[in-house]
Amino acid sequence: MKRFAAAVLAAFWCAALWSADQATLDLGKKEEQQSCVACHSLRLIHSQRLSRATWSRELDKMAGWGTTIKDRDALLEYLVANYGDDKPIPAPAVSLDGSGKK
Amino acid sequence: MLLDRRQIFAALAASAAGRVLRAADDSVAIPGKRPMILHNDRPEDLETPVRYFDSYLTPVDAFFVRQHIPRPAPIDAQAYRLTVNGLVSKQLSLTLADLQKLPQYTVPAVIECTGNGRGFYTPKVPGIQWGRGAIGNAEWAGPRIADILKLAGASSGAAFLETDGADTGVAKTPDFIRSLPISKALHPATLLALRMNGEPLPDLHGFPARLLVPGWDGTSSMKWVIRLTTAAEPNKGFFMNPGYRFPKYALPPGTPARPAELEVIEGMPVKSTITAPEDQSKAPLGPIVIRGFAWAGEQSIERVDVSTDGGSKWREAKLTGAKLPFAWRLWQIEWTPPQPGYYTILSRATDSAGRVQPIVAQWNPSGYLWNAIDRVGITVEKA
Repeated sequence: MKRFAAAVLAAFWCAALWSADQATLDLGKKEEQQSCVACHSLRLIHSQRLSRATWSRELDKMAGWGTTIKDRDALLEYLVANYGDDKPIPAPAVSLDGSGKK
Repeated sequence: MLLDRRQIFAALAASAAGRVLRAADDSVAIPGKRPMILHNDRPEDLETPVRYFDSYLTPVDAFFVRQHIPRPAPIDAQAYRLTVNGLVSKQLSLTLADLQKLPQYTVPAVIECTGNGRGFYTPKVPGIQWGRGAIGNAEWAGPRIADILKLAGASSGAAFLETDGADTGVAKTPDFIRSLPISKALHPATLLALRMNGEPLPDLHGFPARLLVPGWDGTSSMKWVIRLTTAAEPNKGFFMNPGYRFPKYALPPGTPARPAELEVIEGMPVKSTITAPEDQSKAPLGPIVIRGFAWAGEQSIERVDVSTDGGSKWREAKLTGAKLPFAWRLWQIEWTPPQPGYYTILSRATDSAGRVQPIVAQWNPSGYLWNAIDRVGITVEKA
């Protein structure tokens, strides 16, 4: 019984930890929408795969260039989790034909 | 590196075939452009797919686009004024008609983004992850910068020409301002280009006037130019320092540079690109023509060597077109694979100054000047 209780506790603990992480990532995603899009599209970010240290330096650079990042930690976690240098290189996006030629 | 590039080109080939329509958020058409590799759609940063590079002049609708800060509102040709000031005897405000009345010169030249090939560096560096297509070769036409400065009576004490475009920063992003040493500004091939491949510049390429600084990194060839200022000192803004600088001494990959040991990038390195066969394509056993282009900044291309066995043996390709500085030269070589199988094809350019394309490009924190030997893979199948 004791062991069962411990397992339940552990499960709750894991769930709590996971949801905290997920909450952070959600917060980071929201932060990205708020603080990055004034100057450029998100595609510029999502096409890159950088280490935590490099993403962190990028955030400093962008803050220096005038963006207000409210939740820096969440944004950094979100970038590392989705666009870290251990993640596969994305297929390039290709624009539709705008040449007006057939 | 190879894996990255294979993934990139395999995906590109798939979408190029038009069978893959990507998710709704990727469905962006850029007016005036064929389907391009989309690195950023606001502002537009567009890369030319290698399969479009099959001509001496890169068509305007296939030419790459790089913008640092948001594009200025379209400039009205009648309202346009170019200010020429600084160390001059008379400050000028020139109209487009004034510029068109000056002697017009045509210069065929490559413009290549300083970061072309950045995506191939390991470890990864921040910035647009360009593959091989942040480059194009066009005929640029307009008055010489030297003639414009002569009109203004530029002083012999001016050592630099500061240039500013109509684009301005957002929030605290710096304005895009650059400086050229006066000797390069006065070079007879340095133009204020009004035309590109015989047509007025499109807005995306700097209408009504852009610099052409042939042989130098693309960032020198500023678009939407509205001010030329002769000065005793170079501009000290971000886009001169620390932007667009290269380590004086090679660094271990992944390590930071010492700011004092970074130098302004000027002339571009020697380089070649294989345009056919397409990377990771298949071909039936039989004769194959390997084609590409090669360029060398302010130098001209002397030779291009090609290997079809991963670099054991090299053969000299046939160059076509004039041997000119600034512009690229097309090259080709015929090859009949001895048997079916996978082949790695390499190209290596040598220029008139004796520079040879290296096997390993010099890693640098900003990912500039990638010029390693080019490489494609092809699977030859039984006919």
